[in-house]
Amino acid sequence: MSALQTFGIVIFGVGAVVSGWLVFRTDSMVRAAYWLMASFVAVGAILVTLDSQFLGLILILMMAGEMTIMAIFMVMFMMNPAGLNPMVMVHQHRTAIAAGVGSFLLLATVALVADFPADPVPLGADPTAELGFELLGRSMLVFESAGVALLAVMIGAVAVAGKWGRFGDADAGSVEPELEPEEGGS
Amino acid sequence: MNPVQAVLFIGVVLGLGAYLVAVLDRVFAGAPGGLRSGLMWPIRRTAFLLVQRRSETERPDAEAWALAPALLAALAAVGLTAVPFTPSLAVADVSAGIVLFGAAMIIVMVAVFLQGWSPNSIFPLIAAYRFAAMALSFGIPFSLVVLTTAIPAESLSVGAVVASQEGLWNVVRQPLGLPVYLVTGAAVAFWGPFRIPEGTDLAGGTALEASGPTLAVWRIARAGVLVTLSVMGAAIFLGGHLGPVLPGWAWTSVKSVALLTLFVWSGHAFARMRVERFVWFGWVILLPIALVDVFASGIVAL
Amino acid sequence: MGLRALLGRLAAGAEVPVFPVVGGGARSQIQDLRLRSELMLVDSPRHAAVMIVAGSFPPGEVEGLLQVHDQLARPRRTIRWGAEPVPGLDDALVVSGDENRVVAAAVDAFVDLMTGSGPGEPPLLPDVDPVEWRGVGPYGQGGMGMTGGTPYGRPMAERGPARDGLELDQVPITIGPWLPSLPPGLRLHVVLQGDVIQALEVGPAPLRLLDRVDPFRQALVEPVPIAELELARARHHLRWIAEVLRIVDLAGLSRRALVLSHRARPEAGAEVRRLEAAIARSGLFVMALRGVGRISDLPVGWVARAAGSAVDARSEDPGYRSLGFRPVTTEGADAAARVRQRLAETVQSLELAASAGEARAGGHGVMEDPRGRLEVGSPPPAATLLEALPDVLVGQEWGDAVSIVHSLDIDVEAALREVPA
Repeated sequence: MSALQTFGIVIFGVGAVVSGWLVFRTDSMVRAAYWLMASFVAVGAILVTLDSQFLGLILILMMAGEMTIMAIFMVMFMMNPAGLNPMVMVHQHRTAIAAGVGSFLLLATVALVADFPADPVPLGADPTAELGFELLGRSMLVFESAGVALLAVMIGAVAVAGKWGRFGDADAGSVEPELEPEEGGS
Repeated sequence: MNPVQAVLFIGVVLGLGAYLVAVLDRVFAGAPGGLRSGLMWPIRRTAFLLVQRRSETERPDAEAWALAPALLAALAAVGLTAVPFTPSLAVADVSAGIVLFGAAMIIVMVAVFLQGWSPNSIFPLIAAYRFAAMALSFGIPFSLVVLTTAIPAESLSVGAVVASQEGLWNVVRQPLGLPVYLVTGAAVAFWGPFRIPEGTDLAGGTALEASGPTLAVWRIARAGVLVTLSVMGAAIFLGGHLGPVLPGWAWTSVKSVALLTLFVWSGHAFARMRVERFVWFGWVILLPIALVDVFASGIVAL
Repeated sequence: MGLRALLGRLAAGAEVPVFPVVGGGARSQIQDLRLRSELMLVDSPRHAAVMIVAGSFPPGEVEGLLQVHDQLARPRRTIRWGAEPVPGLDDALVVSGDENRVVAAAVDAFVDLMTGSGPGEPPLLPDVDPVEWRGVGPYGQGGMGMTGGTPYGRPMAERGPARDGLELDQVPITIGPWLPSLPPGLRLHVVLQGDVIQALEVGPAPLRLLDRVDPFRQALVEPVPIAELELARARHHLRWIAEVLRIVDLAGLSRRALVLSHRARPEAGAEVRRLEAAIARSGLFVMALRGVGRISDLPVGWVARAAGSAVDARSEDPGYRSLGFRPVTTEGADAAARVRQRLAETVQSLELAASAGEARAGGHGVMEDPRGRLEVGSPPPAATLLEALPDVLVGQEWGDAVSIVHSLDIDVEAALREVPA
């Protein structure tokens, strides 16, 4: 590993931790979501620094969309007009502290105790191609079952969100549902 | 290319491109006045915005508001770095250049959302949510057609994609690719019929509360995104710097300007689409076409 | 020469960014300013350097005007176009006279702003929060807990049932009366959920009526040449189409329609047909208006005819009958059908004007004005349309609501003008 790579990993690593910490220190749901994105981007940058460009960039690409969706959903489900009022990002303080300290200790123990394989990649190997062979080779069953499950969830979500809603077509206008259920239910 | 040269080079390309966007925009708008006033217009307009002062709103998210235009400009620059302008001149022809470009264009969503969210004002906020709905609808077809160009090249590097088009351009090899790219590309830059988050019905939408230098940077950055999309489109669909007689940089420029002209023209040729219609269009029309493009290219490659 | 001076000299040659405030009687004057190459009419006060206040205002409507004024980015200048002063806008540059005068004044004021160094007019209202900040708690969120309390002293969002069965926040807000994407003077008190209108009320119009000569009202009492009536109708329709095109960001076609309205002569039918073809090519009908605002039960003029029913007061008039007048109709009943209908009626009006010769119509207390049936003793059709607005707009998304308002040719001023008995 070159000195430049080490430098990059340290910088991006600190960036990932600090922006991850800021997620809980801010008072705005949108800022929290985008600090989290910044943290993921820093992790992606670490992967790029480690010559795994494809994985790093695809992580960044995915997180940009996901964090915006997360921000919108947070704003939607909070009793906070359009998310514009300031709010506390942390709740259940004791549980949160216990979970945080616990998982830090666990991960730190793993990092110190585990015997990581020293398996240097030969110079000139193409990590993207290797990844493809892995996904469609040994790990095919795992990834395909996860992929099919996700696809089923997506189709289900589209079906639930379709315009044929519980209370009639969505474009039929904003009509409040009746208080009394209809005969026979719907 | 050393870092200083690279920054200067990208800055000059984006600056010239944004200037060209403004001039072409005025030409297609059919604005009166001779050539001289047309060429001076972008300069005068920018000078005005630099003289005008920034406006303030009640309790904005000031940092995010300042960040959004800069982020948009940075994304346009990042997307441009992966393109080889001549066989030997690219700022960073990285091995996953196409993914780098795709990631930069998807993060445009974040910049637009922040721009609409930050001023604490209702119409920009609606505009931000509109763009999020749009981005989720064009994001997948856009990424698919861009990534499909890597199939014949068997590489994600833009340089390799250009090289693979020696003899047959991707616009012929993947006939569905370029049309979907142009439509979704205009949507990425919320330009033309997809000016949905900046529509007149929202009195300017995401840009409504911006004025002065902020507005100048926002407008230039948006034109820059259009430039990046044109240059990349020329590289991955029209063979980039490949071509007879003329040197490579000339072919890159000619093809990029052609796509840029098409983008700018669409802004005056079409009515602004309804956001609901766009979402339908993205999922029901564009996504299946993009999938057919992927499968067909895969079969041809096998 | 300093940088500021250099930028200022460059900027002084730019188009003047103008925010228009349209009072009573000034709608078409301001619309015509869009044809001037010296000016650029902008949609947001933040983008403007000059505010042009035209027309007349009732006393007590200045508060909103001053708010708009203070939203202009600095440096800024206000021009009052019209003789009578507006209270509160005492420092405004007063210009009376025709369009050329006001354009020249705007250009001069802009050059002064750019080449001078001052910030222009100071704010007219005190710069304070509308409600005092009362945030407490670690993040100023107004109380303990995640979202507890009322940080602005304002109540938290009300919640109401949404159409998919959830309870969601709703935002009450007043939109207008000088928002350029709505007709001038239209003030909407709306309750938004996201961008869906849950409830809507039309507020009082901040316009003062001016007496105006109008051939259609004249035709209620005495016969008027049909050619004059039909040319006025065609001009009205083309002006309206220009507005619809502007709202969907077709500025070039909008200017073309506006120019055509100035040149509406009996033989201009072919030009209108070419405009219609250009509009169809732009995708206006397919991408922006199809299926928007279906209205089939509003018996007003072209709205009814766009839903296929051939009601037209001109059918009853002997003058029109002698010309073989038959109402044209369109199917569809949506905003796209209403635009198509009016384009067809524009062509029909020009043809009628060409064939009318000296023929006259009217004098029976009934006449079809550009919007619908104008009858002595009944409210004008513009008032019927304005009254129908809340029913039509509730449940619509904001973008569609704006399209519908324009497709119905809402005119607050015309709605106020009663028909004398």
